[in-house]
Amino acid sequence: MHQPDIEAVQRVLAGDTEAFGVLVQQYQQEIYRLAYRMTRNAEDAKDLSQEAFVQAYRALRSFRGQARFSTWLYRIAMNLCLNHLKAAAREDPAEVNGDLPGPRTDALDVLLTDERDRAVAAAVQTLPPQQKATLLLRVQQGLGHREIAEILDCSEGTAKANYFHAVRALQRKLRAFGEGAPGHEHVR
Amino acid sequence: MSTCAEVREGLPAYVDGALDAEAERDAAEHLAACPACAAEAAALRAILARAAALPAPEPPPAFWREFEASVRARVTTRPAPRPSRWARVVEWTAGLPRLRPAPVLVAASVLGLLLAIGLIRSNRPMQPGPPAEVVTASQDLAIGQDLDLFQQLDLLEEEELLERLDVLRSLDGARPRVT
Repeated sequence: MHQPDIEAVQRVLAGDTEAFGVLVQQYQQEIYRLAYRMTRNAEDAKDLSQEAFVQAYRALRSFRGQARFSTWLYRIAMNLCLNHLKAAAREDPAEVNGDLPGPRTDALDVLLTDERDRAVAAAVQTLPPQQKATLLLRVQQGLGHREIAEILDCSEGTAKANYFHAVRALQRKLRAFGEGAPGHEHVR
Repeated sequence: MSTCAEVREGLPAYVDGALDAEAERDAAEHLAACPACAAEAAALRAILARAAALPAPEPPPAFWREFEASVRARVTTRPAPRPSRWARVVEWTAGLPRLRPAPVLVAASVLGLLLAIGLIRSNRPMQPGPPAEVVTASQDLAIGQDLDLFQQLDLLEEEELLERLDVLRSLDGARPRVT
């Protein structure tokens, strides 16, 4: 585990609540970005990532240091994001219907000047929440399947299967946007 | 060599480096000979590269100061969490002076041996005396020897006769006399 993380956790558990600020400073950007990529909503990302830190603080006594602190924190944050997406889907099923969303401009769209990047971002957004979480943790956070499985509380095989489903879904969705393969000649 | 369908099905795993050595070799051979599947693999890599590079909006520095202050405000209103009992036990044992393994093993083995001997001995019946049910039978036998006294109940009321009941006396702590 990251040594400054261990020291900060031990200090908090010893009664130094200020030491928690070290952990917040260390991970606030990562957790916020992860929440943003899951929700594509800046306000939700801020609320969810702050809530992740508060929940981590409350549960810090249960952190045994067997996993990295960042993995443990990701798990809390990802749970919050998935629950948020589930609740959003209940309220508005059209949000998670597997289709590419209609025209909509958000902060990310402003950043994406390349049409193909926008298409990829939109396709990622339409993945089922578990697949989206797996894909983002793999390609954007660069995590291994085992660590992703720890974060999402599933087996490594399930994490891999979710990832490969997500990649195939992206392939399918993006064929229409010219990111798929060209013509096909069979080879045996 | 694998078919196009097989290779394309396995492309996500191939691009991820998750295939076993044999399957990866098969896929590589196929891709070298099949431009369409090679293009599919290249397109998939491009998609994943774009997905990996997707930016997230970068809030201004003031956002992060407010973010941290907000989290601090929410957590400092609560007492600091205490380590769990288990964590405290682990921490306490980690703080103990490091013992040399060999003497500790020897001491543990001797202690274990002594405990085992103690257990075996405690389970063994007491050698000098008969088992409990035998003692009871013996008492019945001894009392039976003075049965004629019990049959003369009016005599029993006489104290000197009771004094003769050495069997009854023996029940008050002494071993019954068995003859």
